[in-house]
Amino acid sequence: MDLSSLKNRSDLSFQSALAKKNALEKAHSRSIMAYNGCLFRADASTINLISVLKQYHKEFVVLDANENPCMITDADGFLKLLIERNQECLNQYHQLHEQLKKK
Amino acid sequence: MSAGALIYCFDTEQVQYHACTNFAISLIKKNLNLPVTVVTNEQTKEHIRGQDQILLIEQKKGNRRFYNGNAVPWYNADRTEAYEHSPYDTTLLLDSDYFVYTNNLLQLLSSDEEFLLYQDAYDLTDRKSFDYQTMSVIPMVWATVIVFKKCEKSKQIFEMVKHIKSNYSYFCNLYRIQFSNYRNDYAFAMALNQLFPEEKRHLIPGSMSMLPADTEVTKIDEHGLTFKFDKYINFIEGHDVHVYNKEIKFNV
Repeated sequence: MDLSSLKNRSDLSFQSALAKKNALEKAHSRSIMAYNGCLFRADASTINLISVLKQYHKEFVVLDANENPCMITDADGFLKLLIERNQECLNQYHQLHEQLKKK
Repeated sequence: MSAGALIYCFDTEQVQYHACTNFAISLIKKNLNLPVTVVTNEQTKEHIRGQDQILLIEQKKGNRRFYNGNAVPWYNADRTEAYEHSPYDTTLLLDSDYFVYTNNLLQLLSSDEEFLLYQDAYDLTDRKSFDYQTMSVIPMVWATVIVFKKCEKSKQIFEMVKHIKSNYSYFCNLYRIQFSNYRNDYAFAMALNQLFPEEKRHLIPGSMSMLPADTEVTKIDEHGLTFKFDKYINFIEGHDVHVYNKEIKFNV
């Protein structure tokens, strides 16, 4: 393989990596959601936290993204919204990831 | 309770800000479905399209900034009056070069927070061009996107920003800010530090995506944009973005 092909490969890899990184950032931005007047990230940590707490309490308090306390009275409803938003973000990221893998 | 977007737009000899504003308005309408008020002057007014309201003022002059290697006029001082200028109970104050490609910002309008802005910026070219940590003793915030409600807290913040603007040299020295021209980003950072030093409630979670000034926007439409830096070309779609380079060829 000549040097120019390697350089092309290197440039293409950089551009693919950048597109993936930006798509992940897009997913992170999309994962912010308002609930009960507070702001949450629909990420794995929040989903896990709500899943665990709802096994022990019907109502409980969690901290939002800015560390404001938020009373959760409908844990099932909240968890459903979190999972929907989380999967919406990650599905979009997954699609782009698959496209880039083929390049 | 009313909600809407507020944009400041004053053309200069060097930059036709109205082109960005018109495009920004069309995206706000499409993706956020909010009314838009543009604060502008008599000269720029005739070029503005798609807004719901226009508020005419005579912009404050005197400030300058470097753009493409030259010191050019920078009419950014009127943003401190946004609290008075806004006709809405909840206002989304946006720069004319912030392009809203999603409805993500609606989540912020649904929150109980009375004042929100970004502290972190994300460089879409991955060169970390917006890392200003060493330029002051407090973290800079970005006045590009501000969500505020008409309330006592927001009023206090805007009043403090006006006070800081009137004594900008003093406050720049106090916070060791290495940016002598008036900049809203630092004025808001200092105001928040003065009023609420321990609070982080005013921060929008996540980062604001940005394209640096040396990045050329080669194609732009209602879905996204393609950008070029060095020898690289990339694109974003459905991703809100703040574009520093104002020389955009709009063809939509």
